[in-house]
Amino acid sequence: MKRILLLAIKDFQRRWRNPFIILGYIMIPIIFTMILGMVFGSSDEPSLPQVKVLTADNDESLVSRLFLGTFSQGELSELFQIEQVEEEQGRKLMNKNKASALIIIPKDFGEKLLDLQPVQVHIVKNPSEQFLPEIVQEVGDVATLIFSAFFAVFSDEIDLIKEYAELDSFPDQAVSQISVLVKTRIEGVSKYIFPPIVSIKQTTAPTEGEEETGGELTFHSYVLPGISIMFLLFICNIIFEDLLREKEAGTLMRMMVSPMQLNEFIWSKILTATVLGMTCTFVFIGLGELIFPVNWGHPLALVLAVLCLNILIAGFISLPYAFIRTERQAGAVIPTIIIIMSLLGGSMMPAQMFPSSIRIFSKMTLNYWGIETFYKIMQKSPAVEIIPYYSGMVILGILFSLVGAYLLKTNLRKGLFR
Amino acid sequence: MLQIENLSKSYESIKAVDNISFEVEKGEIFGFLGPNGAGKTTTISMISGLLKPDTGKIIIDSMDLGTNLKGIKKVMGVVPQEMAFYEELTALENLTFWGKLQGVRKKTLDERIRSYLEKTGLQGREKDTLKKYSGGMKRRINLIIGLIHQPKLLLLDEPSTGIDVQTKLNIFEIIRETASQGTTILFTTHNLQEAQDLCHRIAIIDLGRILAIGTLPELIKIVGEKDIAVISGKFSPEQGQQIVSKLQDISVISLQEGKIVLSLEASQKMPLMLEEFFQAKIAIDDISIKQPNLESVFLKLTGKEMRE
Repeated sequence: MKRILLLAIKDFQRRWRNPFIILGYIMIPIIFTMILGMVFGSSDEPSLPQVKVLTADNDESLVSRLFLGTFSQGELSELFQIEQVEEEQGRKLMNKNKASALIIIPKDFGEKLLDLQPVQVHIVKNPSEQFLPEIVQEVGDVATLIFSAFFAVFSDEIDLIKEYAELDSFPDQAVSQISVLVKTRIEGVSKYIFPPIVSIKQTTAPTEGEEETGGELTFHSYVLPGISIMFLLFICNIIFEDLLREKEAGTLMRMMVSPMQLNEFIWSKILTATVLGMTCTFVFIGLGELIFPVNWGHPLALVLAVLCLNILIAGFISLPYAFIRTERQAGAVIPTIIIIMSLLGGSMMPAQMFPSSIRIFSKMTLNYWGIETFYKIMQKSPAVEIIPYYSGMVILGILFSLVGAYLLKTNLRKGLFR
Repeated sequence: MLQIENLSKSYESIKAVDNISFEVEKGEIFGFLGPNGAGKTTTISMISGLLKPDTGKIIIDSMDLGTNLKGIKKVMGVVPQEMAFYEELTALENLTFWGKLQGVRKKTLDERIRSYLEKTGLQGREKDTLKKYSGGMKRRINLIIGLIHQPKLLLLDEPSTGIDVQTKLNIFEIIRETASQGTTILFTTHNLQEAQDLCHRIAIIDLGRILAIGTLPELIKIVGEKDIAVISGKFSPEQGQQIVSKLQDISVISLQEGKIVLSLEASQKMPLMLEEFFQAKIAIDDISIKQPNLESVFLKLTGKEMRE
């Protein structure tokens, strides 16, 4: 143990003398979070750009106007910028990427709906945009659903209205008959729809300077843990790269002639990576607290999470090094692993945004478990919910380290003697 | 102090070390002389326990390396060919680290560091990082690291590669002093002059085999009083052989296309030899004659000239 500590202290001295790479890796997540916060975080400006939607109404009936009016109702009017166009002109504009989507209403839209016949609304999405056309699609889907439900519930009343409409006159008797029918229908369905079983509670994240209410995550709290974990992996990698560097430089060979055992050398790297990772995580936490409105939660829970996470990271990074022989190989393989894992694990965007088929893979990454642990602590979840995360990370970390150290021993012996 | 018995090591089909045996006494500086690829570093790697021999036995300070590597590591020091230390750290930090790794106690370590820095003329620069050191200064630190725990056996792998004369003399002085204090030194080199100047005994190694062992006078006896002549020109091995066979008291060491190495009394035989070449109308490009010394011994034993 004494020699492991001696080796680890030597590594820390070396890092201290040349701290720029690590400082860079610490600053990138902070700057990244800051920029993302400025772009998407809370402010007086709208958080999303307006979605430009072209509408081509070939029907021009009351029903079609009602349908298209959905996109300019209430808060949606702030989100969508609607422009009415002819279908052909709309298609041309779409080809020139001038809008996010084009909604085409067919000629007999109103009539078919009144006859309760199936009818299709065509939404042309801009392929060069990722999310905005999806928003149009979602709103369109909801509007279609509401219209379909409305016409299904009020089919009798609609038939009556249609009859009078064809006669082109609405006598008082007809109006009162329709009113009574509608009233009866509404009373009939009211027990099902009032009060609604499902409701939405709207809350707003506290702005900078405001005191954060317990358990809520700010934008920065969402972003910083994930991106920090990604860069912790890179920082840990620097220490393991040293394994190969020392092999190349002959210092490892020289140590092997001393009473030091190869196992001690490997474990010293695992220890250095863990301690350095913990130090950097605390720096991330401190800077996050100072610069952004990030409330990390209970300090003890946080310290435990930092320890468990870094044990897992060090153990995990030791594994690929059991198969890598040169620094060049490490330079090609390890960043690829880290980036893919970070992408899947939610370091670059929240894993909750992924479809369930991808989320299966997210759960196979240490990023996911690390991020979830931080979220749980920030949300002040009870200890019983967090402890399984701690134990999972520690057990896996130790297991990875044991396997990594065993395999590394064989790998380092190869090519040591030239 | 060091006994090597029938040591062999092969890499696939190549025999890097082929059944070598020798002994080195306490306080002796033993030179391992051979060209690049002769098997010197492989031998040192096996002696230092880094490489497992295929066959053979290594005894150091009465301990068998095969069964007591841990004990042997405590009494052995190594100075590798490469600068094996941390350039980001200062000389003091490096020496402290390597000393502690060898188990030297702090007080003793501090004294030794001060003493060695003084001997190597590096006092006052101990707080500089090694990045700032010249090549010669780095070589001296490389040597001190190997000596810091005062080993009983010191393995030096080409310690003077690429350094200036002043540093070389300083390093040699420290090596001699260390040996005089009872440390056994095994020194590999491909530099004949270094081996001649420094070593008590020399083993000449080539293609993994020891060709001769002895003190310098003992080795010179191998070539006797004769000189070694190397003649280069435009002739075939057959033509060379034909010319030599016409003369007496000349022995051929090696003969190849355009080059012949001979053992002869140059003052008497060389004019006759040149006459024969002249009569055979063979153009000669170069002639060199070497007096009996380590170089001529090496040439006689290996048929090769030693190159830096």
